[in-house]
Amino acid sequence: MIYLDNAATTYPKPESVRRAVAAALSQYGANPGRSGHDMSMAAAEEIYRCRTAAADFFHAPGPECVAFTLNCTHALNYVLKGLLKPGDHAVTSCLEHNAVARPLYALSKEGVEVTEARVYPGDNDATVDAFRKALRPNTRLVVCTHASNVWGIRLPVERITALSHEYRIPVAVDCAQSAGVLPVDLADGGVDYLCAAGHKGLYGPMGTGLLVTARGGGLKTLIEGGTGTNSAELEQPLSMPDRMESGTQNMPGIAGLRAGIEFVRSLGTERIFHHEMTLVQYLYRRLAALRNVVLYTPEPTERYFAPVLSFNVGDLPSEAVGRSLNERGIAVRTGLHCAPAAHRFYGTLERGAVRVCPSAFTRRAEMDRLVQALAAIG
Amino acid sequence: MGKPLILVGSVTYAIKGRNILARTGIWSRVERAPSGGGCGYCIYVPDRTDEAEDILFRSGVRVAGRTERRDAP
Repeated sequence: MIYLDNAATTYPKPESVRRAVAAALSQYGANPGRSGHDMSMAAAEEIYRCRTAAADFFHAPGPECVAFTLNCTHALNYVLKGLLKPGDHAVTSCLEHNAVARPLYALSKEGVEVTEARVYPGDNDATVDAFRKALRPNTRLVVCTHASNVWGIRLPVERITALSHEYRIPVAVDCAQSAGVLPVDLADGGVDYLCAAGHKGLYGPMGTGLLVTARGGGLKTLIEGGTGTNSAELEQPLSMPDRMESGTQNMPGIAGLRAGIEFVRSLGTERIFHHEMTLVQYLYRRLAALRNVVLYTPEPTERYFAPVLSFNVGDLPSEAVGRSLNERGIAVRTGLHCAPAAHRFYGTLERGAVRVCPSAFTRRAEMDRLVQALAAIG
Repeated sequence: MGKPLILVGSVTYAIKGRNILARTGIWSRVERAPSGGGCGYCIYVPDRTDEAEDILFRSGVRVAGRTERRDAP
């Protein structure tokens, strides 16, 4: 199979990730952070190694700033619902995934006001200006995607963060598509709440996500429970990461995530990004030469795009194209990609789109096979 | 006299504290905290315990207190 659905989850996982998961199951089979016996302590050490790897990767002040979650959606919900209360105002973008849009909608029904700032692909000045105009005296949070999971459009999060910090407004960034591919961190006025999937560009197993923040202690909790600490107290611990980590952790997944982060570090984020962007740019040019393919964005450039490309074929529903590609041994994602706002942006809400996303393992020959298949479908 | 223990908030801070102390040449070990205040973790620092506590405090490790423990024979 040619797997081009890496925006949903990367596949294959590196050999080191598979080995780390297997080792966790066989060697660290005890519950981490709960007991004092050797195997529980060994499991806790492995969890700590991943915390340290993630903190270093995102330039967080320390490993305690890293909370493990089930996925990026989970981390975003922690931030949005932990911070916003009735009467507050939040600014978001017009390209958000439902991981941001749905919690904000739920909060809006409870009295939180939300403003969508327009994104101008290829014009970061205009995008930042749109965010500036959306700010209000009661704006409590700016939350946006780092890169659209449909169109690959990058948001200038560094500039949006600088703007928001001028008004002492914290910033949460949905890094589901960018962690491991684009630079983003907490250092030197960086984002306040970094939410990431562990199983995409960081090459960890599914069921892993990250909330990286030095401000976790200020978040209201959504889930309380056992943390292995202060058990005599009914009050949830205030300090990170325990505040956000009730219940038993996904130890094998976290061990795999540690290996995934090390894999990305060994290759280098810049090199992975360049490799994937080269493939996407190559694909874009090949598709532009096909009469039956409908492209929506300008040709992706490294400055303004992440390596995700969506398109359609003739007037076919995207699902039909996906089925046809699947019959030819090519895996892509079709439909709305859980991001109706992004589809509304380019008028593809009705038919959806066919999304292609390479990984560090994708080769140019696989893009050629995709182009051949699409030419045959049209 | 029992084993001198530095109490910290979580196993994360215990491991972090042990690693910080190791870098300054102080040997220590992460252990389960004595029951009483509820579950938790501590750092067993047999020597230079006061100095270790100061280092942890300066390094941003939340120290919850000190205690001693006599191990079962």
